[in-house]
Amino acid sequence: MEAPPVSVMPVTGGTINMMEYLLQGSVLDQALESLLHRLRGLCDNMEPELFADHELVYLLKGQQGNPFLLRARRSLSHPTAPWHLRYLGQPEVGDKSRHALVRNCVDVAASHSLPDFLNEMGFRMDHEFVAKGHIFRRGALKVVVSKLSRVLVPGNTDNTEPLSLSSLVELSVLAPAGQDTMSEEMRSFAEQLKPLVHLEKIDPKRHM
Amino acid sequence: MGVTCVCQLPLAEGKSVQQTIDLLHKKLEQLGAVKQGSFTVDCETYHATGNASGQPTKLLYVMHNSETPLSCIALFEGGPCLTADGNFDVLMIKLKSHFQNAKGHKVESRGSRYRYCDFLIKVGAVTMSSSARGISVEVEYCPCVVPGDCWNLMKEFMQSFLGPSIPELPSVFSSKPEGLYAPVDCVDTMTQYLEMFSKVRKQQVLPGTTR
Repeated sequence: MEAPPVSVMPVTGGTINMMEYLLQGSVLDQALESLLHRLRGLCDNMEPELFADHELVYLLKGQQGNPFLLRARRSLSHPTAPWHLRYLGQPEVGDKSRHALVRNCVDVAASHSLPDFLNEMGFRMDHEFVAKGHIFRRGALKVVVSKLSRVLVPGNTDNTEPLSLSSLVELSVLAPAGQDTMSEEMRSFAEQLKPLVHLEKIDPKRHM
Repeated sequence: MGVTCVCQLPLAEGKSVQQTIDLLHKKLEQLGAVKQGSFTVDCETYHATGNASGQPTKLLYVMHNSETPLSCIALFEGGPCLTADGNFDVLMIKLKSHFQNAKGHKVESRGSRYRYCDFLIKVGAVTMSSSARGISVEVEYCPCVVPGDCWNLMKEFMQSFLGPSIPELPSVFSSKPEGLYAPVDCVDTMTQYLEMFSKVRKQQVLPGTTR
C-alpha cells in the first residue's frame, strides 16, 4: 500500500470563520412548477439536483444561558453517504442596510454513529423533519427549494405529513466573514425571482 | 488499512527515551526497513462542564492521526466514537462553554514511519505538556483485515526487533465476537492509542527527560 497521493487535498477551511448569507421565502404548491422553471433558466445546472433528507435538531442544555443547537442531517436517497452536522451561530446584528441575514456556520461531515455520539455528549433530540426538493446553483449562490414534512412516528421517515401547502425557498452563500458584496449579488438574484417568490432577510429569533 | 497493533515500549536499561528510539531505528534499518517520512498522533481531552443532573463528568477525547490527515476522531472511553472531518475541531471551539479543553492533558506521539515489505512501523516519542513520557510502537500489517489470520505473523515480526517485550493481541480485537477489523477508518488504531495514552498520563514523569 502506497502513501495516499497529496495532490487531491480538499479545501481545509477548518480554521476559517465561515459565514452563511441567507435569504428565505416560500412558494405555494400551485406556483412551484413556475418557480422551478424560472430557476432552471437562471441557474448553472440545467437539471437541478434532487434531494431527500432527514433532519434531526439536537439541543444541549447547560446550567445557564441558551441551549446549544446542532442540526444533524442524513440523506434518505443516499443512505451510505456521511451524515452532515451543522452549527449555526446567532445572526449578526451589524449593518441594517445589509440585504441578507449573516450568521456563523460550521459544517462537519460525520460517520453514522453521530446520533449515538450526540446523545453521549448530552444532546437530546428536540424535533425532526423530512425535507425533499431541488438544489440549484449559480456560481457561489445556492438555491434550495424544499418541501418540509413532519415525522408522525419518531424515527420513521416513511410515515410523514406535509407541514404546509407551500415549499421553503432558501438562497444562500457560504463565504469568509466580511464579504458584504455577496449580499448585494444575492439581492439582485432575488429580484429576478419576483413576483414568484419574495426572498427576505428573516430573523429566526422573531419566530421562536 | 490493515491490522494494527499499538503498544508502549519500556525504556532500554540505562537509556533515555531518545537513545532507546535510536536503538530501535538502528534495528529496523538492519532488518532492511526503509524510512518513509514521519507521523503524528495526538489526543486532546475535553471535560463536560456543568451537567445539571450531577452525574460524574465524562471525558471526551478528540484525536488526530497524520495517516488520515483530514479526519478527526472523537471518542468516549468505552463509549461510542465518531469519525468526522477537520471542522469538528472548530465545532469544539464553539462548544467551549459546554466542553472545556484540558490543555495540559494533550498527549502526542511523534516519530518516524518505516516500511518493511507489507509492514508499516511507527516508532514515536510520547510527550505530554512537552515532557517525554515514553515510547509508542505501532505495527500495521497492510494486506490483511482479519486479526485472527495474521496475528501470529505480526507477533513473529515484532519479536524480530522488539525482542521478548511483545504485546498481547489488542483487546479491541479480542473483545469483538468475530475479531473482524473495521477497515473503513482507523478507529481501532485510535482506540489502542487512547488506551496507551491513558496509561502514560497516569505514570510518573521520567527523570531527566524533559525536552
